[in-house]
Amino acid sequence: MNKIAKLNSILMWCTMILVLIFAPIVLPVFGIEMATEIVIFSLFAISINLLIKYIGLVSFGHAAFFGVGAYIVAIVLKSVAGFPLFGLLLLSIGSAVLLAAIIGFFSVRSSPSYFPLLVLAFQMLLLTIAMKWRSLTGGDDGMPIIRPDFYLPIIGEINLIDSVNMYYLSLVIVIMALFLVYLALKTPLGNAFLCTKINPSRASHLGYNILLIRWIAFVLSGAMAGLAGGLYVIFQEFVATTTMDLHMSFTAFMMVLIGGTAYYLGPVLGVTFYILMTYFLSDITPHWQLYLGVMFIIIVKYSEGGLVGLIEKLRDIFSHTTKEVFNDVNT
Amino acid sequence: METVTEIYFVEMLHGLVYGMLLFLVASGFTLVFGLMNVLNLSHTGFYMLGAYLAYSVTVYLDNFWLALIICPIITGIAGLGVEHIFLRKIHSREGAHAAELLLTFGIFYVISELIVMTWGSFELDVPAPEILTGSITFVGITYPVYRFFILAISGAILALMTFVLQKTRTGMMIKAAVSDAKMLDSLGVNVSLVFLGVFGGGSALAGLAGVIAAPFFTAYPSMGLEILIDCFVVVVVGGFGSLMGAFVAALMIGELHSFGVLLFPNIALAFQFLLMAGVLVFKPAGLFGEKNE
Repeated sequence: MNKIAKLNSILMWCTMILVLIFAPIVLPVFGIEMATEIVIFSLFAISINLLIKYIGLVSFGHAAFFGVGAYIVAIVLKSVAGFPLFGLLLLSIGSAVLLAAIIGFFSVRSSPSYFPLLVLAFQMLLLTIAMKWRSLTGGDDGMPIIRPDFYLPIIGEINLIDSVNMYYLSLVIVIMALFLVYLALKTPLGNAFLCTKINPSRASHLGYNILLIRWIAFVLSGAMAGLAGGLYVIFQEFVATTTMDLHMSFTAFMMVLIGGTAYYLGPVLGVTFYILMTYFLSDITPHWQLYLGVMFIIIVKYSEGGLVGLIEKLRDIFSHTTKEVFNDVNT
Repeated sequence: METVTEIYFVEMLHGLVYGMLLFLVASGFTLVFGLMNVLNLSHTGFYMLGAYLAYSVTVYLDNFWLALIICPIITGIAGLGVEHIFLRKIHSREGAHAAELLLTFGIFYVISELIVMTWGSFELDVPAPEILTGSITFVGITYPVYRFFILAISGAILALMTFVLQKTRTGMMIKAAVSDAKMLDSLGVNVSLVFLGVFGGGSALAGLAGVIAAPFFTAYPSMGLEILIDCFVVVVVGGFGSLMGAFVAALMIGELHSFGVLLFPNIALAFQFLLMAGVLVFKPAGLFGEKNE
């Protein structure tokens, strides 16, 4: 039975990866762009869930890192022509890490119930700067950019204006980032994260420095959000204060909650649901927010762990009935 | 020719007016947070609903005073419904915090979208009644009557709330529930009823604030989100669940707004968040926080 389950999960992962790889062949152009958006926001949403699942902290201000990653890419592209793409992405990670290190230094000290709002306060400060420092950020009008080209050793020059290339680039980078963070969470450090979440006082009696551990998790999460922001601005070819405002933070947070916080990759489901819903609903009705709101309410009312929880519930019901059927056959 | 002192005095009054309005909205927000540990994002939806309802009542019934009575009742009932139908069941769940956020945000979406569907997405002017238009001259300063009216009404509500909370049995129960709901429950008080009442009362107050704000700011679709952000700041600065804190913080934010815009127009928006960050770093429970978790 265990073997079958293992085989099943391997099979499932392979199918998912194949679907992701071959999706652009089937999808129309707007579908590819939607898929790119889903991939990028998955990284952002998982960065928020990293804090919720492993550290037990909620952040309402994660758009600060997303926005800083986005702005740094746009500003550097604007001022230094021909800056290499991977350099840009590293810069977006670096700036987000720096910012998270500073914000984290102040905010991990506060209690978990005040933490989300403290991060929010810092985010709003940054938003004000982005809005008012017009010469650097373009203020409310935002700033258009051009997607940079990049070279790969064997394949040669890759043109990102083609949305298929943009999709593959985002996919490869996001999967790599997610995998690296996943590996990091498998180390003793990941266990220390969980330990401080489940029982902080015990963890500190065992000699763990809780503030330091929280701070490391916060910086890691900020780095992921910054990378997502950098990718997003290259994808959108435009940066504006919307990458950093309250709505961005909340959208990402809602995506996480819709997906469910119980699994590392759970938010992906929420991101997919949210983006598909907003696309299709805004296509058929101008009042898509209404239906989205109703869906939030339904999800909360009927499932405890978001969509993942809902699926598990259904699976339990299903496997239960199949078991009963088998029992009947046996007896 | 106005002197500098007069300009400052007028700005101070502006700040006071906005601060009092903000207090009306934030008081329900902070009490609900203190009681139920719910960050009720739908709260400012009721504020917005109040403003739009005020428009309809004043335009179709041609009576602003009626709006002042009807609208808070409607938003209050809506608040009772939200608490009773949705929040109550979810509140008893394990780890309900995230679910409650998602739920109240969903309700906020629904309210704001229903408003846009009903009233459209443009600004609506709500006419103030004849007596309250124009301005009066007061110690050498000319100031609109309507703003004095806002001060008077919110002052009266403040006095009423203080009386209820300090002097009545109900108020005692609310305060007891803020500091320890479980203990109060074991003492035989119907805590769910206290929750329901505070939630409904808070929604009614938000609606009332909306009615009062409508002739002053007009009714527009993003008004709910804008004041929600200010409410966050007020609640954090004042301390969760503290009415006194909400009052002081709301006035501080009001004054910061008006003097910030007057003296440093470019970075005015940043002040309140600097204040919030500062309070959270140095006094995490807020200025008047009772809960120190």
